[in-house]
Amino acid sequence: MFFYYLRLSALSYRRNPILSSLMVLAIAIGIGAYMVIFTLNYVMGGNPIPQKSAQLFHLQIDSGNPNTESDPPQQLTYLDATALIEADAAFRETPTSKISGILEPESDDVRPFSIIGRGTSADFFPMFNVPFLYGTPWDTSADRNLQQVAVITKELNERLHGGDDSVGETLRLHGNNFQIVGVLDDWSPVPKFYDVNNNPFDSGEEVFIPWNLITPLEFPRSGNTNCWKAPDPGPEGFLNSECVWVQYWVELRDGDEEADYLQFLNNYAAQQKEFGRLPREMNNALFDVEEWLLKEEVLPNETKILSALAAMLLAVCLLNTIGLLLSKFLGKSAEIGVRQALGAHKGSLFLQHVIEAGFIGLLGGILGLAVAAAGLEGIKVILGDDLMRTDWIQLNPPVVVITLTLAIFATVVAGFYPIWRACNINPAIHLKTQ
Amino acid sequence: MEIGPILRALTRNKLGVVLIALQIAFTMTVMVNAVFIINERSKAMARPSGLDEPNMFYLRSTGFGDQFNSEVTEQDDLDLLRNTPGIIDATPINAIPVSGGGSSTALRLEDDPTLPAIPAAVYYTDDHALNTMDLNLIAGENFTSNDVLYQRTSESRNFGKAVVSQTLAETLFPGEGLNAVGRTFYNGDNPVQIAGIIERLQSPWPNSSFVEQAMIVPLNFISGTSTYLIRTEPGERDRLMVETEETLASNNPNRIIRDLMSMNETREESYRLDSAMATILSVVIVTLVFITSMGIVGLAVFGINRRRKQIGTRRALGATQGEILRYFMLENFFISGVGVTLGAVFTIGFSIMLSSLFESPTMSWYYTPLGMVILILIGQIAVLGPSTRAARIQPAIATRSI
Amino acid sequence: MLDMKNIRKVFRTDMVETCALDDFSLTVDQGEFVTITGPSGCGKTTFLNIAGLLETHTSGQYQLDGVDVTDLGDYARAKLRNQKIGFIFQSFNLMPDLNLFDNIDVPLRYRGMKGAERKERIDKALDSVGLFARRKHVPAQLSGGQQQRVAIARALVGDPLFLLADEPTGNLDSNTAQGVMALLEEINEAGTTIIMVTHDQSLAEQSKRNIHILDGRISNESERKIDTAATAA
Repeated sequence: MFFYYLRLSALSYRRNPILSSLMVLAIAIGIGAYMVIFTLNYVMGGNPIPQKSAQLFHLQIDSGNPNTESDPPQQLTYLDATALIEADAAFRETPTSKISGILEPESDDVRPFSIIGRGTSADFFPMFNVPFLYGTPWDTSADRNLQQVAVITKELNERLHGGDDSVGETLRLHGNNFQIVGVLDDWSPVPKFYDVNNNPFDSGEEVFIPWNLITPLEFPRSGNTNCWKAPDPGPEGFLNSECVWVQYWVELRDGDEEADYLQFLNNYAAQQKEFGRLPREMNNALFDVEEWLLKEEVLPNETKILSALAAMLLAVCLLNTIGLLLSKFLGKSAEIGVRQALGAHKGSLFLQHVIEAGFIGLLGGILGLAVAAAGLEGIKVILGDDLMRTDWIQLNPPVVVITLTLAIFATVVAGFYPIWRACNINPAIHLKTQ
Repeated sequence: MEIGPILRALTRNKLGVVLIALQIAFTMTVMVNAVFIINERSKAMARPSGLDEPNMFYLRSTGFGDQFNSEVTEQDDLDLLRNTPGIIDATPINAIPVSGGGSSTALRLEDDPTLPAIPAAVYYTDDHALNTMDLNLIAGENFTSNDVLYQRTSESRNFGKAVVSQTLAETLFPGEGLNAVGRTFYNGDNPVQIAGIIERLQSPWPNSSFVEQAMIVPLNFISGTSTYLIRTEPGERDRLMVETEETLASNNPNRIIRDLMSMNETREESYRLDSAMATILSVVIVTLVFITSMGIVGLAVFGINRRRKQIGTRRALGATQGEILRYFMLENFFISGVGVTLGAVFTIGFSIMLSSLFESPTMSWYYTPLGMVILILIGQIAVLGPSTRAARIQPAIATRSI
Repeated sequence: MLDMKNIRKVFRTDMVETCALDDFSLTVDQGEFVTITGPSGCGKTTFLNIAGLLETHTSGQYQLDGVDVTDLGDYARAKLRNQKIGFIFQSFNLMPDLNLFDNIDVPLRYRGMKGAERKERIDKALDSVGLFARRKHVPAQLSGGQQQRVAIARALVGDPLFLLADEPTGNLDSNTAQGVMALLEEINEAGTTIIMVTHDQSLAEQSKRNIHILDGRISNESERKIDTAATAA
């Protein structure tokens, strides 16, 4: 019976090709446009590390200005970061800061070039499930002993060593020699949750070195530095200042560890207050990945506005579909009358029209996928590729499934009233008023 | 006119009215708010930065290795640049206006951290900045080369003089206008005297709340990296961009030249999201108007086909073609009227929601009525074709049996 | 009053030319009740459409109330229809979305008449067909006979020169049909000219004058004096 109805749907399409195509087009455009924005929201507002996002926490210690009402700083001071590293109170933990430097390739063929890197610690890699192509993360002892070791990305390894295993090779960065201990496999979480400052959608860093080396080797900091009080003169003055420039993540395996760590933070902050630091009211906090992305408003306002507009566009398209389905089904009154006379009961008429609506929805959904794919390509083009990473702007399997399901579901729902009207047509009245 | 009968006939087809009216209402909501957003963004994009942007570019020089001497290189570079034919002037600067990255500070009238602070962008540069950027000094004077201090990056940022934008002067010393020259404000505990006031200079952050509050200070940082902002004679920019990069890269092997960019490109990149948003919204508007028009046409054609006999009868009873045309145009006018009335409510509601959620400016009053008129016109245009066809229905159809 | 001379109507398709009316001449005077009969396809409807100015004829002359309508444009024909002709259709052709009052109002609207006069006329017309009480109802709420009465009221409301009825009883059962016929005769008695097209020979026999069309030409014309009251009984 299903295939019979499907065939009837196809026949019905052919009988009213313009009306039917208009419907398919409306659904395709509505669903397609909606899915473009949905994809942006889905990825930009998504959870980039679902396996353990609830165990990873961004630290907040409110070292802010007591004279203003401003939000607590997003980052930590050097003083706090080093104290936390020293205390070693979490299961895993890592300070991280964005740096920049000039990389001097060994080969004379390649000119030195500027590179963005990240100072972090050995725990960074297992904490954030960072995959390795060659080698391993450096050892924790390398952090303590200020060993000049580096992990580079697959792309940088391509560029410097043609993709060969470069573990053990030397990397000359910012005038210092580092030993490569590992090469990453493809790894580019969207959004770049471990550092959402500046641009959570830019491409990540190309080289990772121990964070402890940033100050001794005087690496230029490339992330945000915020000071509410002018630092004392000299390098020491800066390190002991209330300037924040370090992000700090910890991994805590369960609620108990979380509670313990927060207690530890509070004890630490209380102690600092005794030394005359942290003049604001104590406001320490742990944000897991999803909370942090939400708090930092990683999802741009633009996509939120576009979501609302796209939802309205979809609504318009579905209202359109209701109207057109109504026209189409009521135009079939004679056929429905004949079918009733031949013994079709309301249930089977209902099923027939649900399948017909679903058929149109499916066609709309398939065309909608093309609209969505074209829309995403268009967005990629107008965003350009130097502003942010755009490789993730494409249809992904969940979005494809959602698109088709939504198209069929929405069309059938939009069709309920027209279907109900069609199944309740009294041919006699219909003829009489004609 | 037959307004009464049209309205009474419409009330017998409420669903059709509601379907079209809702589409028009949503379309209007999206269209009006989108146009408002586009206009706001174009307005922001059109604000002048104060610079002679078309003739300016910049580049960065970053040194490496032990032989690199930042101070000497920078002085050599600047001497070379300033003596290059076609280059009007060049200045070392820590940040580029409009570029999105820079430095800001909090200013107060007294050395008292509990006082409210006024945010301002700071450009650390030298006495050539005014000429390089072609800024319009409207009061006071530029600082001299003797005023310029040279410091390591990590040292504290003390400067005694500043040339401030008019907006910043007005924010610091309201009502004093150009007489603010010579007044003193505090950057932390460091007193700063206003040496001059320039007509306009934007901060590096186009979306910040203090985009017009900026100042130039005679302090130059010595680090491995120097950023040179350069102004050329009109028409010479593109040639000099290429030549300058080559010259600087080749005259010192211990540094690299990077981030070569014209101010025009910088502006384009800084406003890329805004222009992308404008493009997306325009596509959304066009799509919606198309879909809604198609819906109006589709339902009008259906409604007319359903009423062919009725139309023929009206013709037989003496309706002229013009009267049939007018009937359907009027019918659409009333449906659109319901739509835009509903749309006005939706539009204003949505715009209030947007401005309160995102702290954006509120929509001017005329957007909504203008949107109503435009949507009614769109409806009338959409229904013109089907109505014309309806008017051509032969009166003889009335005597035809079904 | 209605004067057709040598009317010819040709329908052209790609393949054939069909002659629906050929050398058709007819004169109808004020106060007459003329029935037009003939088998289907003989040209009855074509005559009706031409007489009612719904279609143009190919050649010949047609004078309506002393005006030659042969070369009139669409606008003028519409105005003439509105002022001079009252139509009654086989399937009533009421506007399903309008109530009875608004239905009868339709031709008066096209005449651009003032509201008060329209109301007076409509009420009178509704009264004359006995449906005043149901003026707010829509056609679907009425029986076929009642609907045709509304249609008759609509045809009369503009005081036309003549009524043009197309199988007015064709969609009605015989009792109701007799009622409608009686109403038409009453209207005729009151002085309105009626031209009625029908395939029903028995109805034709009731009329004062019967024209029989065959293959687009008048084949037979009979005229007689009859006692209307007796026929209606």
